[in-house]
Amino acid sequence: MINKLKLDKILMKVEKPARYIGMEKNSYKKDLNKVSVKIAFSFPDVYEVGMSHLGLQIIYNLINNEENYACERVFAPWVDMEEEMRKEGLPLYTLESKEEVKNFDLLAFTLQYEMSYTNILNILNLSHIPFKSKDRDDKYPILIAGGPCAYNPEPLAEIFDLFVIGEGEEIILELLKLYEEVKKGSLSKESFLLEATKISGVYVPKFYDVSYNEDGTIKEMYRLIDSVPNTVIKRYIKDLNSMYTPDKLLVPYIDTVHDRIALELFRGCTRGCRFCQAGIIYRPIREKSIDNLMEIVEMLINNTGYDTVSLMSLSSCDYSQLLLLTKELMEKYEDRNIALSLPSLRLDSFSIEVLKEIEKVKKSGLTFAPEAGSQRLRDVINKGVTEDDIVNAVTYAFKEGWSRVKLYFMIGLPTETDEDVMGIKDIAYLVKDIFFNRPNEEIKGNFKVTASASCFVPKPFTPFQWYGQDTINEFMRKISMVRNSIKDRKVVFNYHDADLSYIEAIFARGDRRLSELLIKAWEKGCKFDGWSEFFKYDLWLEALEESHVDGEFYANRYRELDEVFPWDFIDSGVSKEFLIREYKKAIHGKTTDDCRNGCRACGITNCSMRGVYN
Amino acid sequence: MIIRARFTKRNYLKYLSHLDLIRLFQRSFTAIKLPIKYSQGFNPHPKFSIAAPLSLGIESECEYMDIEITEYVKVDDFLESINKVLPDDIQITNALCLEKETSISAILTWAFYEIKFELNSKEEPKSLSSRIDEWLGSSEIILTRLKKKGKKKVATDINILPLIGNVIVKGCDENNYIVINTLLKTGQNGNIKPVQLMEAMSRDLDLNLDLDSLLIKRLALYAEEGKNIYSPL
Repeated sequence: MINKLKLDKILMKVEKPARYIGMEKNSYKKDLNKVSVKIAFSFPDVYEVGMSHLGLQIIYNLINNEENYACERVFAPWVDMEEEMRKEGLPLYTLESKEEVKNFDLLAFTLQYEMSYTNILNILNLSHIPFKSKDRDDKYPILIAGGPCAYNPEPLAEIFDLFVIGEGEEIILELLKLYEEVKKGSLSKESFLLEATKISGVYVPKFYDVSYNEDGTIKEMYRLIDSVPNTVIKRYIKDLNSMYTPDKLLVPYIDTVHDRIALELFRGCTRGCRFCQAGIIYRPIREKSIDNLMEIVEMLINNTGYDTVSLMSLSSCDYSQLLLLTKELMEKYEDRNIALSLPSLRLDSFSIEVLKEIEKVKKSGLTFAPEAGSQRLRDVINKGVTEDDIVNAVTYAFKEGWSRVKLYFMIGLPTETDEDVMGIKDIAYLVKDIFFNRPNEEIKGNFKVTASASCFVPKPFTPFQWYGQDTINEFMRKISMVRNSIKDRKVVFNYHDADLSYIEAIFARGDRRLSELLIKAWEKGCKFDGWSEFFKYDLWLEALEESHVDGEFYANRYRELDEVFPWDFIDSGVSKEFLIREYKKAIHGKTTDDCRNGCRACGITNCSMRGVYN
Repeated sequence: MIIRARFTKRNYLKYLSHLDLIRLFQRSFTAIKLPIKYSQGFNPHPKFSIAAPLSLGIESECEYMDIEITEYVKVDDFLESINKVLPDDIQITNALCLEKETSISAILTWAFYEIKFELNSKEEPKSLSSRIDEWLGSSEIILTRLKKKGKKKVATDINILPLIGNVIVKGCDENNYIVINTLLKTGQNGNIKPVQLMEAMSRDLDLNLDLDSLLIKRLALYAEEGKNIYSPL
């Protein structure tokens, strides 16, 4: 256990000390000496962000539900806390037992976004744990990682001992059970890793090596030991209704990003947007039943005291019985002043129906994501939204009293022309005209339309994985084109850092040669890269140069269809043929309909939604 | 009708801000389905108020709040259910169901604290005690406070002596920290924070204290009538 007097002294000096104390409602406090396996679980960002993650809540409760296992949390200390900890020589500790991270059997990270990778190194460093797998002997915890970015684990291959591909709650208990053998002494850590490869969905990078072609592309990834699998198949929960679902959630004391109940309606998505990685890797679509959801939500409300329930999914409006569900929820909980929120709204008439049902939603602002400015480009990315949809949705929203609209777009999508880019401005102005072209007496509220543009990052396991990202200059040219064309105070144009998206693109499709780059960047002081106020592009440029990594090779290069990708050894269930088919259709501006309206042969087997109509 | 409740704020939970504390009670009231009154308007919120909010980092054995309710509540049932959902370090220790009263914030005028601190010098508690008594015997103790006036912060000098009820040196604890008790004015008609007392004391008695390392605990809050002070519950 760490020195608590020191901790007290530090906590008086830092911002929001409640980030570092734990003790929240529904947190576990087990005697670490009395459990057989102890695992530290980390979301490598600041507390408020990490605690808003539903996956953490599931894994935390799943493991702690087992009497013999303890799971404790650790987040990235904010910069002021880090400074004080280093000054006092206080190592990083878990929130529950205030125990040093280093003393845990396993240390697990969830990889939600590439720009959190430097935070992982910072957490390791603050815990006095060496970065590289080969530099850690048996006295250090085994480092494991999972989450969406684990679908391309290679940039972190030298750092982690083991990756979990797919839905962690399906695998983690099997892993811990195997680890119990290590604790009993019947297995060494080394043989634990080898044994673990027999668990489907587990990838241990040190049992593989990679050879390269002269042009720097991968020639072959090969096994160093015959018994490990050639292909790692993702694991997923087959039946969401019978899966382990926590009946309680950790309730933070401080305000977090999502300070409410997250009720997961389903996993997967049938829309087939071509830029979206989640839409592929979470296939097949799996829904929870209304009865199941009503039962869960009652327990969650009583066990947390939250007064807002957020209906979570990749595209919540696609839940096949959404209207019925919202009606039942409203009927049951209206008297208790419990509000519903629907975070991912689609721009069609059905979503609006649902919105009408949830009258309690705050009418401050409404967010829509057309993603691209022109119909042609929306067809390319297969975002099934038309201009009519946008017109109808905002017309309705204004009539119902909303006056502020946010629109999300991407810049740098495949086949994009300047005309497409300028469509962003056109849509924003269209929305403004719809607001003001109404009878004067109907115009109420302080109108504002905000168009936000992010820079497109091609991701593995999407139809755009072959596509070369726009250069930073090209991004900036397009951005200033839109920015300079908007001359209306009621139309606000925001854009994301192109520099940051460039680094993100390098890691998204990177290979195992990037570990050095990452360590170099951390050494230079990079951390919290996802926070634009901390992102230091000049340091990243230095790190790229010093580690001899050609960033353009990873970010901007167009790949041949037969190129071997670093992530090719992972089977996401969706076939490469399907992705190629979709890529080709995209280039020709041809759309693919929602797969609830008919199977598109993506390669997923046993899909329960095959041909089910919405 | 109101419930007037006394509660604790101990250990690490002293790091909860006033706003965090309000949210905690809000969720806890929702969880036990307390018939709490909601404000009117577009964004209804439950009506309750915590008196004399603590600064971040101060523990307390004795905080008060008024909760407006729509119907009579059996206090024993309330205590039993609410303390089950509240954390161990924040527990309601006493409560009464009352008809409408003057608000608790309006009647509280004195706060009683325990303050522990580390002395750099090897000064004995006895000697410190007599130096403090002498200090409190001076004609005035001036402290410069920054007050917000619009957007600007203006420094004003005030005499804090009338805001200090007493300071008693209790001795040393097991970590060799000096322990004192002090009664300080609180509320709208004069208010001094324990850190401000220690700031002035450290300055005038050359104690050279690290004000971030003080261990402060509020032991009681009092109302007064004439010359008597009394506990409101």
